[in-house]
Amino acid sequence: MEIPTTRFGPVEVEADDVIRFPEGLLGLEECRDWVLLADEENDAVAWMQSVDRGDVALAVVSPRRFVAGYRIRVARRELAPLNLDRVGAAHVLVIVGRTERSLTLNLRAPIVINLENRLARQVMTNGHLPVQHELGTALPALKRTA
Amino acid sequence: MLVLSRQRDQSIIIGDDVVVTVVDIRGDKVRLGIDAPSEIPVHRREVYEAIQRENLRASRLEPKDTRPLGRHKTAAPDGTPSG
Repeated sequence: MEIPTTRFGPVEVEADDVIRFPEGLLGLEECRDWVLLADEENDAVAWMQSVDRGDVALAVVSPRRFVAGYRIRVARRELAPLNLDRVGAAHVLVIVGRTERSLTLNLRAPIVINLENRLARQVMTNGHLPVQHELGTALPALKRTA
Repeated sequence: MLVLSRQRDQSIIIGDDVVVTVVDIRGDKVRLGIDAPSEIPVHRREVYEAIQRENLRASRLEPKDTRPLGRHKTAAPDGTPSG
């Protein structure tokens, strides 16, 4: 099927490519089906494009590329809906956001995908990881005058 | 809002399968135990709202906004502040 998207134009999607979030995401509950798209100009980022809404897409990254030693602790019930047979089938991505100063990573609520059945969930981690972890790279800073 | 008084170790049942138990009370802090089917998400409200806000904000990001990520750990030499 072809889905219209505002960022990437029409995108051809195979049914097998679809990643299903049975509960949607917080604030985006109506978006259950998503596909992962590579960003052709930026290999650090992938885009999670909503199949249901062409105007909704989230930039996602592998957290360890940016945050050394990132580990998540989650309650068992958070992962139960994914029917993970083995932890190795779980793929963890974090959503990119931004503040006025910097791009950020949502380390508090990563996305866990079961690569075997393509079920996914945004999980709440235990502890106090930040919702907006600012990346050092920052957006181009305004020029300092002094 | 329905208001119920409960003591330590007492519970309330919501629907058929959600049980909320007062596990501990210390000063102005109450610890609650929640038994619910795994398909019912349970969150601290302020965290829930923070994630909700963050997801909506993140969903407005455009590919050009993420360019600095491709140059991680190096200074962004060009580009104009966007947004």
